[in-house]
Amino acid sequence: MRRFTSLLFAGGLAFLLFSLVATLDFGDPPMRIGSGILAQAPAQVGTANIVTAVVLAYRGIDTLGELSILFAAATAAGLVLARPGRAVSAPKPGGFVLRVGADLLLPLLVVIGLYIIAHGHLTPGGGFQGGVILAAAFFLPLLASPGREPTHAGLSLVEGLAGGGFILIGLLALWQEGAFLEPLLGTGQLGALLSGGTLPLLYLAVGLKVGAELSALLARLMGEGHDVGD
Amino acid sequence: MSQVVLPIVLPLLLAFLLPVVMRPLPGVGRWLGPLLLVYDLWLLGQAWPAAGAAPFSVAIGGFAPPLGINLYVDSLALLFALAVQLMGLLLWPWSDGEEAPRRQSLALLLIASSTGMALSGDLFNIYVWYELASVAAFGLVIDPARAASFAASLRYLLISGLGSVLTLVGITLVYVRTGTLNLAQLAELAPGTLTGPLGMGALVLMLLGFGVKAELFPVNHWVPGVYASAPARISALLAGVISKLAVLVLARLLYLMQPGAEVAGLVTGLGILGMVSGELAAWRARDLRRMLAYSSIGQLGMIFVAFSLPGKAGALAGLALVLHHLVVKSGLFLLAERWDGALERLRGAGRVSPLAGGLFVLFALSIVGVPPLPGFWAKLMLMQGLAAEGGWLYGTAMAVFMTATVVEASYLLRVADRLFAAPEGKAPRPAVGGLALTSLLGGGLLVALVTVNPLARTLDKVAGVAVDRDGYLLHSLPRERGRVGEGGDPGSHSPLTLALSPRGVERERGARP
Repeated sequence: MRRFTSLLFAGGLAFLLFSLVATLDFGDPPMRIGSGILAQAPAQVGTANIVTAVVLAYRGIDTLGELSILFAAATAAGLVLARPGRAVSAPKPGGFVLRVGADLLLPLLVVIGLYIIAHGHLTPGGGFQGGVILAAAFFLPLLASPGREPTHAGLSLVEGLAGGGFILIGLLALWQEGAFLEPLLGTGQLGALLSGGTLPLLYLAVGLKVGAELSALLARLMGEGHDVGD
Repeated sequence: MSQVVLPIVLPLLLAFLLPVVMRPLPGVGRWLGPLLLVYDLWLLGQAWPAAGAAPFSVAIGGFAPPLGINLYVDSLALLFALAVQLMGLLLWPWSDGEEAPRRQSLALLLIASSTGMALSGDLFNIYVWYELASVAAFGLVIDPARAASFAASLRYLLISGLGSVLTLVGITLVYVRTGTLNLAQLAELAPGTLTGPLGMGALVLMLLGFGVKAELFPVNHWVPGVYASAPARISALLAGVISKLAVLVLARLLYLMQPGAEVAGLVTGLGILGMVSGELAAWRARDLRRMLAYSSIGQLGMIFVAFSLPGKAGALAGLALVLHHLVVKSGLFLLAERWDGALERLRGAGRVSPLAGGLFVLFALSIVGVPPLPGFWAKLMLMQGLAAEGGWLYGTAMAVFMTATVVEASYLLRVADRLFAAPEGKAPRPAVGGLALTSLLGGGLLVALVTVNPLARTLDKVAGVAVDRDGYLLHSLPRERGRVGEGGDPGSHSPLTLALSPRGVERERGARP
């Protein structure tokens, strides 16, 4: 009976969605917000990458919310996975090529991650993408030699301080300019590395936070026998 | 007045920093959360007179809406924000031990996101806060001592995930049709663009998606399992407060977008089905927490019926029911913590702890709606609203509502009867302490009983603000904009694009030969 109702519900939903899509007219969306931001952003925010202007300036508080969602997910996973007595069998050590290859890749990944974060206001990329690469850099040695212990204390510190930094920059703007997350420090010259005011700093905080969050999430999933994380 | 962003942002800041602070200083850390909530309450309280006089909008980042995101502060939003922060403070998870920083971080995230839901004036921003509230709730509902809570949380996660996808599809449809996410501008454009099956479909999708948290009828399978196995304070917080925030979001959408009689009728219908299914399941429930969970579905159904009524009377009834349910259901869930397990085992529990038994009877009578208690006035308002509206749908709602009240009386008084029956054999041991908070809620209910007239006047004002669509448009968007109600077909230029530089207009013309 339950299975039948679920099927009915799913079928009805699929029908609803298909019939809605069928009535959509393609190719001529009204660009109310879009064209407004395209016209204003370069002068108002000063980032060559307009997506960054949207992500950090026009919809900056959404980004803060998304960071918080990642943080909540990592924290909730910590609560779920932090159960004592999950014995893990001794992992098999990785081979020579794997270990050395990982060690060689590590600095490259860190540099690329930081580069993508630092140029987020100029080119496609930014904190989210760079942060994921940083997380990969963090996780590579752990995958190559599974016996190694992830450093939870440091992760937790970066996690807290990067998120705190984002909000503190916003609060500084509230105190100085009267609006939370208002870009400070002027716009600078469009396209220069040092432009876009506080936006690159915000992206740095986003990148570190995303990197630390994903690393913490993965490290908790690896969960050793003891209480990992916090 | 831009400080009104602080009650959203400061809890987020503390949530990020709490795990760092509590490692070296656990003694200091455990007080930071409650202190911050007190400060937030003070901030929100300060904004109350200003928002009561005239609602105002705060542009975040200094970017004026509709391009940027704004907080819309009226007495309706502030009332819910205050309720969230106050109940968060009262139901604060004072746990110790290794899990404390994580639990308290999640509680702060839940409170911050719910405040954001109440205050935000942007559809997608509301969705972000809604997601944050969901994710924080997944972690909080886990009680490490109960294996059942893991299964319940998983089911909650799946249904909530479905709801999120539906909401996102709904928001996408709205954005594709209107090209904006700002609630005020949406309200302005909705009559011209969000019509027909597409607009209605978008609204129904958002209704189902946001309805997951609001315990709306077809998407509430998670409710009994989660409320029965989560820590009592978290059940109280979710059932009492967070569900109401989702109701607020839906009520805002309904009042602003004026989707017409079909959607309103659908909400009424789902509310009726919620009443029927919730109250009947509660009647059959065999343990107290499940009973309360099912009855909460029923009462949320009543609230949906109230908000689906057009005009101020419905909003007033809905608000009264919301506030009443917020106090009473939280109190009942806190009481249920000490009376765990099958109903049969409660025999004589009220004689062992007369205060707890008395509080249960007080809350039960108020939920049923026995005359002098506040629950009666709330239900009376809904009856008056339904009677004034007429029509077969509202007539059905009225009949179901009366029956639901009788069923409620039957199962709640059955429990009360059992509480004061002569115990068979060994009476259950009373839990030590834990009644202070419940007594406080009971006291609040009695204060509301005495001050029912000023309360009703305040609520009447808030209800007036809630349904004041023109006021929302006026106070949300900058004054010098074009007149309200421009709308028209989606291809027409909004006042916004006309106000832009000529380049922007040219670009738009170029895109549309």
